[in-house]
Amino acid sequence: MSVIVKSATGEIYLFCKGADSSIFPRVIEGKVDQIRSRVERNAVEGLRTLCVAYKRLTQEEYGGVCQLLQAAKVALQDREKKLAEAYEQIEKDLILLGATAVEDRLQEKAADTIEALQKAGVKVWVLTGDKMETAAATCYACRLFRRDTQLLELTTKKIEEQTLHDVLLELSKTVLHYSGSLTRDNLSGLSTDMQDYGLIIDGAALSLIMKPREDGSSSNYRELFLDICRSCSAVLCCRMAPLQKAQIVKLIKFSKEHPITLAIGDGANDVSMILEAHVGIGVIGKEGRQAARNSDYAVPKFKHLKKMLLVHGHFYYVRISELVQYFFYKNVCFIFPQFLYQFFCGFSQQTLYDTAYLTLYNISFTSLPILLYSLMEQHVSIDVLKRDPSLYRDIAKNALLRWRVFIYWTFLGVFDALVFFFGAYFVFENTTVTSNGQIMTTNTHMVRRLWVCPFSVFLECITNKIFLENIFRCDSSVCFVSSSGSLPPLCSL
Amino acid sequence: MTWSATARGAQQPDNTAFTQQRLPAWQPLLSASIALPLFFCAGLAFIGLGLGLYYTSNSIKELEYDYTGSLDTGNCSACAEADQDGAPPPNCSCALNFSLPEFFQGPVYFYYELSNFYQNNRRYSVSCDNAQLSGFPSALRQPVNDCAPYQYGAAGLPIAPCGAIANSLFNDSFSLWHELPPSGPYVEVPLDRTGIAWWTDNHVKFRNPPLVNGSLALAFSGTAAPPSWPRPVYELSPDPNNTGFVNQDFVVWMRTAALPTFRKLYARIRQGNYSAGLPRGNYSVHVTYNYPVRAFHGRKLVVFSSISWMGGKNPFLGIAYLVVGSLCILTGFVMLVVYIRYQDQDDEDDSDD
Repeated sequence: MSVIVKSATGEIYLFCKGADSSIFPRVIEGKVDQIRSRVERNAVEGLRTLCVAYKRLTQEEYGGVCQLLQAAKVALQDREKKLAEAYEQIEKDLILLGATAVEDRLQEKAADTIEALQKAGVKVWVLTGDKMETAAATCYACRLFRRDTQLLELTTKKIEEQTLHDVLLELSKTVLHYSGSLTRDNLSGLSTDMQDYGLIIDGAALSLIMKPREDGSSSNYRELFLDICRSCSAVLCCRMAPLQKAQIVKLIKFSKEHPITLAIGDGANDVSMILEAHVGIGVIGKEGRQAARNSDYAVPKFKHLKKMLLVHGHFYYVRISELVQYFFYKNVCFIFPQFLYQFFCGFSQQTLYDTAYLTLYNISFTSLPILLYSLMEQHVSIDVLKRDPSLYRDIAKNALLRWRVFIYWTFLGVFDALVFFFGAYFVFENTTVTSNGQIMTTNTHMVRRLWVCPFSVFLECITNKIFLENIFRCDSSVCFVSSSGSLPPLCSL
Repeated sequence: MTWSATARGAQQPDNTAFTQQRLPAWQPLLSASIALPLFFCAGLAFIGLGLGLYYTSNSIKELEYDYTGSLDTGNCSACAEADQDGAPPPNCSCALNFSLPEFFQGPVYFYYELSNFYQNNRRYSVSCDNAQLSGFPSALRQPVNDCAPYQYGAAGLPIAPCGAIANSLFNDSFSLWHELPPSGPYVEVPLDRTGIAWWTDNHVKFRNPPLVNGSLALAFSGTAAPPSWPRPVYELSPDPNNTGFVNQDFVVWMRTAALPTFRKLYARIRQGNYSAGLPRGNYSVHVTYNYPVRAFHGRKLVVFSSISWMGGKNPFLGIAYLVVGSLCILTGFVMLVVYIRYQDQDDEDDSDD
């Protein structure tokens, strides 16, 4: 990144800043070795480094530069490529000025947040544009890598020594022979004899892995890479260009298990990955609002992610899944008796319920309880959820909306419907319920009196179902008893 | 860019417990000491209630006699044979003899029961005109289209009351005769035919059209009786308070039943010598067999029943309570066993830590 300035005396200078790996190749003068060692020392200490270089431009050179840039800017085709080429041409033969180092302190409670997320079963990856040493130091500081984490490197340095293929194979052998199907998350970090792996990958290495090859072997590399990643507890991707960050997110999204991805970032270089991930979170911070503007949710600090996921995310998931299951359940319960009644009315489409009930059932009778439930329900209190992040694993992999759970609810709906219908049928069959002998089993246009009592029973059972679910939490045997037991007491009204 | 914690921006949401998800919440944590007594108490309560309901139901007496007269049952078979080809000849009468071995506690309720008769068929059940039956003069001669084909009669006259429900009015009539002991003459048991319809039906829903010159027949001039009726509606009963649309038998019939096997109240036995109940002895029901049921393989029965606080005889609720109560107690026992067995295990684990 460069800027061309004209001094008060009329001299034109080009100042360029960038990462050391991109500045040093363009430098022809300056104390390169000294500065290089200085930069490396800074990086190991966890400081973010930049190098600055300059060169002087004569008037003709400046004119040439202007022309080149102009031609590239107005190009109708391949504008990006032409601009990049122009920049390449301009930014060369620089004189090294020096290096800068910035201490980018970790936000408060960042380490705590990352640890909580890992305990919750969430895989945490760090995608950064920094140098490997800086990023590794930061990861140690925020406890993404522990002291006993064995770091595996898939960096340019290693790939220069061996081919990509060999490196991948070696890594996978190291990592996969330990796993079987047990990964560190399953044990939530409690076992001390399980070896902990962390992977460090470079932007250049990633582009090598992602590069499409003629023989189709790149897909194998991707699979291999993803297998390695899956067995590692944490992955650090350094020297990432913004587009590469999005690429990695996409790779994970479409991997075998189709996990849900969340990207959180605070700078403009994170925008592409925020947009790519399923959930994008922007941190409103020192680097401006670009990330927040492109995100689904914006938070002021990184630590807010913990409560957002572990508490609010958990609550919302439980509420929504119960809402969905309950809606199907109550409508099965409602319509199945109607279906059963057809067998007793000569299949003449006589409705079991009055039109008013048919219309108002979903609107007013059964809407408020589940509405309040799905707005307010706290199945576990907030402090318990914050204190124990591993509770988040209860809802991993869409646990409450799986087929098995849905079939349980549907079966319950059918069972309840059978109890309602046949209970009412046998209670009212052929008998009078009034003390003056007048028959109660009558209807006019629609069946009204016969089914009002069981309808109110049925309504109470449906609304109590939420209450019961809350207490008994899918304890199926108890639900069974309570559902069948609710008919007699309420019917004796 | 400053981020001030104290300045309240215009977009900042309210900081109330409701909006910030801080409402207090509580959840009962069920332990064995709560669940087990609950199950046992509930089970005992259900069993108690079930026993009460079951014994009450058992103490209700109910007698049914099928008088359809199909050839195997024997009664009224002559009328039944005539029915095979269509309606039986008018005023075909037969007698149904039965004997009561013991005193039948009153008041006794007399029902007729039909089976395989789908009064809940949708086209059938919408086939009536409520405005006409409410006695509005404007609606009397303009029956609604739902009544078709019982809307206009043969001569183009509007049918009152229109519709299939009215047309299929049950027209058997019964009288009950008691043989005075010993082997004396048969005495008629007085049947109280009043008060068999719902009060609201009789006084609110069904009303006769306003009388013309004091005569109900004139009020119905210009209308025709339903095709299957032998007499027009204003001649349903000699009693002027019980004729026309407010005739109790008619009103009881118009209140359609919900299931294909149903009963309708015909009379109460609570007058004279029989107000306390029916003494033991021989009885005979004289049936004027008019209603043809053979065509749809239906059956006709007369039912005598006594009533209790829970209505007629129905053991289902009692049995249901008993079953659920025993399931509760059974589940309670299973949980108790599990609890006792594994309680020690839990204690061991706790003491290890």
